[in-house]
Amino acid sequence: MSQARIIRIHNELLGTYGDQGNAEVLAFRAKFHGITTTITDVRYNDPLPTNGDIYLLGGAEDAAQLLSLEALLRGDNLEILHFAIERGAVILAVCAGFQIIGNKFWANGKEVDGLGLLDVVSVPGEKRLVGDIKTISTVLGFELTGFENHMGRTILGPTAQAFGKVVTGNGNGDGKFDGAISGNIFGTYMHGPILARNPELADLLLTRATGRKYAQITDPLALKYATWRRKVIK
Amino acid sequence: MRLKLSILIAKLAGTLSIRLLRKSGETIPGRILLALYPRAISILSQNRKIICISGTNGKTSTTKAIVEIISKLGSVTTSPSGSNLDRGVATALLTKSEYAVLEVDELHLPRVISEAKPVAVLLLNLTRDQLHRMHEVKRVADKWATAAKSAPETIFIGDADDPFVALALNSAAKSLRVSFGGRKHLDGAVCPSCGVYLNWSGNNYKCSCGLTNSNPDELFEAGTAAYRNATLANFIGKVLGGEAIAINEQALERSVDREYNGVTANLRLTKNPASWTEALNSISGNEVILIVNSREVDGIDTSWLWDIAFTQLSGKRVIVCGERALDIAYRLHVEGIEVELTSNFDEAISKFAKGSRVHVLAAYTAFHELVNA
Repeated sequence: MSQARIIRIHNELLGTYGDQGNAEVLAFRAKFHGITTTITDVRYNDPLPTNGDIYLLGGAEDAAQLLSLEALLRGDNLEILHFAIERGAVILAVCAGFQIIGNKFWANGKEVDGLGLLDVVSVPGEKRLVGDIKTISTVLGFELTGFENHMGRTILGPTAQAFGKVVTGNGNGDGKFDGAISGNIFGTYMHGPILARNPELADLLLTRATGRKYAQITDPLALKYATWRRKVIK
Repeated sequence: MRLKLSILIAKLAGTLSIRLLRKSGETIPGRILLALYPRAISILSQNRKIICISGTNGKTSTTKAIVEIISKLGSVTTSPSGSNLDRGVATALLTKSEYAVLEVDELHLPRVISEAKPVAVLLLNLTRDQLHRMHEVKRVADKWATAAKSAPETIFIGDADDPFVALALNSAAKSLRVSFGGRKHLDGAVCPSCGVYLNWSGNNYKCSCGLTNSNPDELFEAGTAAYRNATLANFIGKVLGGEAIAINEQALERSVDREYNGVTANLRLTKNPASWTEALNSISGNEVILIVNSREVDGIDTSWLWDIAFTQLSGKRVIVCGERALDIAYRLHVEGIEVELTSNFDEAISKFAKGSRVHVLAAYTAFHELVNA
């Protein structure tokens, strides 16, 4: 029996676009695999737990994004994340969260330094990008769907790889790629939540976090939902 | 002269749209009027008292209640039900009256305030809703605050338990801050005024910058959203010299009963996490239909379904339908609640036995289709 500790970072700040559901889908899929899970909500004033297996960050408005960054730079939090990455923990960061874990981003009209966990830089674009998005994941090799709602344009540095190749929508802003990955760190602009719309991605994160292979899950409703979204987003 | 001609054409278009296209003719006149004469709202608002009602939830029903109160003071025109964009406002103003009680969309409110110069504005609440259009809650709050600041003659009345409403009230030269003893707010972690982590103590907040719901101008008891809106309607009525009325809370819930082959359906409008939570808390029976759509007014994204706690549905018979039935079905599946998927409302309602009473939580477009059928 394996275990996965899911750490939901600052949902009170990074929970504006429904991404909190990623934690619930992970815990739900984990049950099928025989993995026991716990979900820990970290609040603004809490220190980060040191023993997380999957750390989650979601989308937010600018002021909330800056508060989350400030809290993550407080005390030992950044060290805890570096250490977690070294021991193979997974990070899934969406939208504002994706920008936070990058090298630089803009919020409230100013450029700030991010956590530097992922080699990306985000800048504001001219137009807000809102709508359904579909990509083909570069790591998984299958289609992912979601919803994007952001001003950010994200540029990848040499040590980051694009997460998905855009089929529909905008992603990082050029309409070519969405998100970035590096090892077990995943960044994306996809809400939905992304793991609800793409449960196979939840399985991949659980595999990476626990270091074990699992058999394929049979959950007809999850499959029906994911397949339908992939079909309707042309 | 050109305004008169524009009004004539707009009214004619409204009549034609009702007669020939069998449409309700609600927004066509206003839309044409604004196209022909963009400053029409400003001119038609002169020499009458304008009252605006805005907020994420409760606009339509609160507006109706205020119309009832104000109609005892003089002649009133009001927005066509639920038609709250600038064109709905323009349509309402085509009718001559002493008062105009206008339901106004959150994003259209600044324009209506600057052009109509209302005597009073009632702000009900501001929470996450239609984020594909609103983008961010704070963005809407900032627009409200700027509009309030630039209207020194207008009195702003609102529920200061909502920090975003409080920001607008604080920005106004004249305001009355109402409190119902405080309540939690899904988007209230950050102070909308200064951007720090907002200091909450239970249901009440107090920021170092001064934004707070304490020391209100009027303090009422806590209650449901319908009760709060009824109370605010009577309060603004009193401020304007009206007499309080007894308000039907069911009407304020945007809920109506309809019969379908011997099954009573209590239809209730649910369109965002706040209105869903309010509706879920009111469910008394064990039979429920959920209808989720994602057209423009419903919000084209459904991610917010994950912001709602559905524990109240546990153990109940739940049937889902609508264009996004699969989204809500999977959401509840993960919560451990299994639902029956159906392809439309007729099929869903037919599954219940005669004599039963079913709670129907319906998306904006679904609610209107059922109520107007």
